[in-house]
Amino acid sequence: MRGVVAVAALAVRLALSPAFGQERFRRTPPLPDARPVELKLPEVRTAVLENGLTVATAVQPGALTATLMLVVKAGEADSPPDRPGLAGLTARMIGKGTKRLSAEYFENMVEAMGTELSAETRMDYTTVSLRVLPEQLDRGIFALRLMVLEASFSERELAAVRREAFWGLVDRMKDPEALARRHLFRVLFEGHPYRTAAYAEDVIKFIAAKDVAAFYEAFYRPANAAVIVFGAIDGETAARRVAGHFGGWQGAFPGRVAVPPPSPNARDRVCFVEAPNAPSAAVVAGNVVMDASGPDVFPFLVLMQVLGGTTRSRLFMSLRETKGYAFYAFSEAAFFRSCGAYWARALAPPETIVAAAREILREIEALAAAPAGPAEIEEGKSFLIGNLPARFESPEGFAEGLARRVALGLDEAQWDKGPERVKLVNADTAGAAARRHLAARPIVVIAGRPEWLGPVAEAFASVEVYDPAGTLVRTLVKGERQ
Amino acid sequence: MKRAAAIVLLLALAAGRVPAAGPLAAAPDPLGFAVEDLRLSNGLRVLLSADHRLPLVTVAVGYGAGTVRERPGQEGLAYLLENLMFQGSENVGPLQHIGFVQKVGGELNATTGVDKSLYYQTLPSNHLALALWLESDRMRSLAITAASLERTKAEVAEEHLGRLRSDPYLEGSIRMDELIFPDFPYGHPLIGTGEALGRLTEADVRGFARAFYVPNNAVLAVVGDFDPARTRELVARYFETIPPGGPVPEPPRPAFKRESDVVTRSARVPVPGAGFHMGFRFYPLQPGEINILRVLEVLLFEGETSRVRNRLLRRDRTSTHLSAVLDERLSAAALKVFSLNTNEIMVERAERAVLAEIDKLRTSAVSPDELTKAKRRYRLKYLDRLSTLRGRALYLIDAAFAGADMAALGRDLDAVKDLEPAAVLAFVARYFTPQYRVVLELEYQ
Repeated sequence: MRGVVAVAALAVRLALSPAFGQERFRRTPPLPDARPVELKLPEVRTAVLENGLTVATAVQPGALTATLMLVVKAGEADSPPDRPGLAGLTARMIGKGTKRLSAEYFENMVEAMGTELSAETRMDYTTVSLRVLPEQLDRGIFALRLMVLEASFSERELAAVRREAFWGLVDRMKDPEALARRHLFRVLFEGHPYRTAAYAEDVIKFIAAKDVAAFYEAFYRPANAAVIVFGAIDGETAARRVAGHFGGWQGAFPGRVAVPPPSPNARDRVCFVEAPNAPSAAVVAGNVVMDASGPDVFPFLVLMQVLGGTTRSRLFMSLRETKGYAFYAFSEAAFFRSCGAYWARALAPPETIVAAAREILREIEALAAAPAGPAEIEEGKSFLIGNLPARFESPEGFAEGLARRVALGLDEAQWDKGPERVKLVNADTAGAAARRHLAARPIVVIAGRPEWLGPVAEAFASVEVYDPAGTLVRTLVKGERQ
Repeated sequence: MKRAAAIVLLLALAAGRVPAAGPLAAAPDPLGFAVEDLRLSNGLRVLLSADHRLPLVTVAVGYGAGTVRERPGQEGLAYLLENLMFQGSENVGPLQHIGFVQKVGGELNATTGVDKSLYYQTLPSNHLALALWLESDRMRSLAITAASLERTKAEVAEEHLGRLRSDPYLEGSIRMDELIFPDFPYGHPLIGTGEALGRLTEADVRGFARAFYVPNNAVLAVVGDFDPARTRELVARYFETIPPGGPVPEPPRPAFKRESDVVTRSARVPVPGAGFHMGFRFYPLQPGEINILRVLEVLLFEGETSRVRNRLLRRDRTSTHLSAVLDERLSAAALKVFSLNTNEIMVERAERAVLAEIDKLRTSAVSPDELTKAKRRYRLKYLDRLSTLRGRALYLIDAAFAGADMAALGRDLDAVKDLEPAAVLAFVARYFTPQYRVVLELEYQ
């Protein structure tokens, strides 16, 4: 008996010893720690001033910088139909001078703090932010107050801002994927205010200082805005300072009329956007879905993971790994105030554009027709639960999440309770969401060189051809003489 | 001997101790975080920095295996190996590393520079052991096969061609690097023409991995939400028994050719618009002088009110695009400027304006206000880099390779704080001289 024990002990020792091959623990991946992983974000304290301005603060222990952000609940979709791009230009004009102080003065004032102003305009809201050293926060609040409350808009400054915005957009649209996605939004949101957001660069030229002033007067109102401060701050002091500086901001906001969501596309539709210098073709396919607060949001997010969230998802495995149709293939979703949208995207060489487009459509149809398997659902959930904390890690990510929550009035499910909502998703809820939101026929948009159009026109019954600015050039119907 | 090491490990684990051969020191935290610095018996340096704000952890490994280690004819080898690191090891199949990390919601990437290759992943903190298992498996048993080598070479070559096709200015940038760092180990590009890459053999790759992808030439950083004692155990479990490599030589010191120092020439690279590169090389720098240079980069080029940006883009409007970077390559550095202009006349004016702005710094001291502005911006940028776990992990690895004292991290910020205008004046006078300047004008169509 002792001999058996000794042999067994020796066997264990040999199995663990690298001298006789690898240690046993190396053969399989380790299990995760049993301790629960809980996402706990800093508490966001909010108060509404008498003028209607929301003030939100979040203290982040251990943060090394502080971020100050103005959120205006008006975005590109609020630009008038005849002035697309106005919301974005208005945001860029903040800090470009007041009636008494020049743009140069403000620029020096901001850069003296060691920072610069950053403006972002999204579909439904706008942010103007400053990240500063903690000791510069007071100056930052003061500077933001001057820039926002006493803003004035000169043609001279607007000309420079317009030029910068124009070339920035031109540069972005050199990417065929950006071009294709912009066009997808244009056709998905036809007849809806969200179409305004998908503007071509040329339209910026028509925006004048009086347009900017009018947009500012309409939307930059305290009851339509929030000031957010987070990072290395004393929350109470910061809130008090913001209230002190912004409490005198005047101007009523009549409120906004809710815009009904557009209907999802329901017919076969293929668009080809000419991108003369594109090195490869971008293929996107997508449709309209529910808004940010819809009950299907979390099941749908899991579906997007299954479809194309990572390199392990269906699109990547099929289009790149198995069939070699594309350099990559993923899917994404975005949720706005009125509705949402999803899109699959792939970058393909010219010879496999058609195959890539068909394969994307096939994968979307398959997911709508048959429920994803439990393993796929669980993997999608695992990714989302694990990845959500990372989205709030950087100051930029935290700012984006917080601004979105405040601007769209989202609940804590869109904050640190997201993982709990994801955990509730199962094959039934995901299947129901797939039937509701993926069954409608997605619109396909291909951006590529004009000489790549031939096989596309041969493959699909009808192809709408657009120039890079998005103007319809012609419609090619299969079988008809061109 | 290996067996003995394993038994020692078992005993240590049973006793809850970790066989750290090096001194265990917890550094003070002028940057708001503490760093535990230890070294395993195989030479692997381990840096641990706990941060419990989010349930995430970053595991990063840096190998002193950058392009400076390549010999002529081996261009692309370091980058090829970076890609092969995802092609599997004894217990991890090709691309499975990516799959394992993504499956749990993690994010990962890798990068290769002149001095090192970096591998990093951020994932939920309860999966820390997974990341350590993955990194240890490829450190210990990277699978280099003829098939994976050929496939990866083809992918790298295709990716490189794609970059060249989509960025018409890339070739000019590569040429500029060769001119400003006229010494093969420091100036040759990550991939080059692709010819050398195509000729690389399995023996070349194995030799490079054997020489440089070894624990005694690596730094492991773990930053995030972890229990230090448990993490020390895991690190020891997965890494302690990986055999060390042979002695790793110091990277070669630069031997820049004097005759190549002054260059003004046209790149025979067809580009769509007029423009130029201008660069100043700094070598050798005295201790601490790199901090002056870092502030100077900010003062001259960062922010719309910085001297050169303001002049070229706004006052004179000679440039349509301007960018600048301080390229630090071990003990050498170059301040590189890239400008796009509407025509050759504007190119010439912009070049003159850059030099004029630098000359001003040589002849009159920068004002305290302007210097304070640059220092604040530099400080904010420095702290921003530390705002994510990944940023902090890579910062620690950089500091370790640079030989920084882990107990004195962040002291360079103090040095910047104390920087005086007179020091800037003296630095410009000493280093911004024609013999260290390179100008490369682009030949546009």
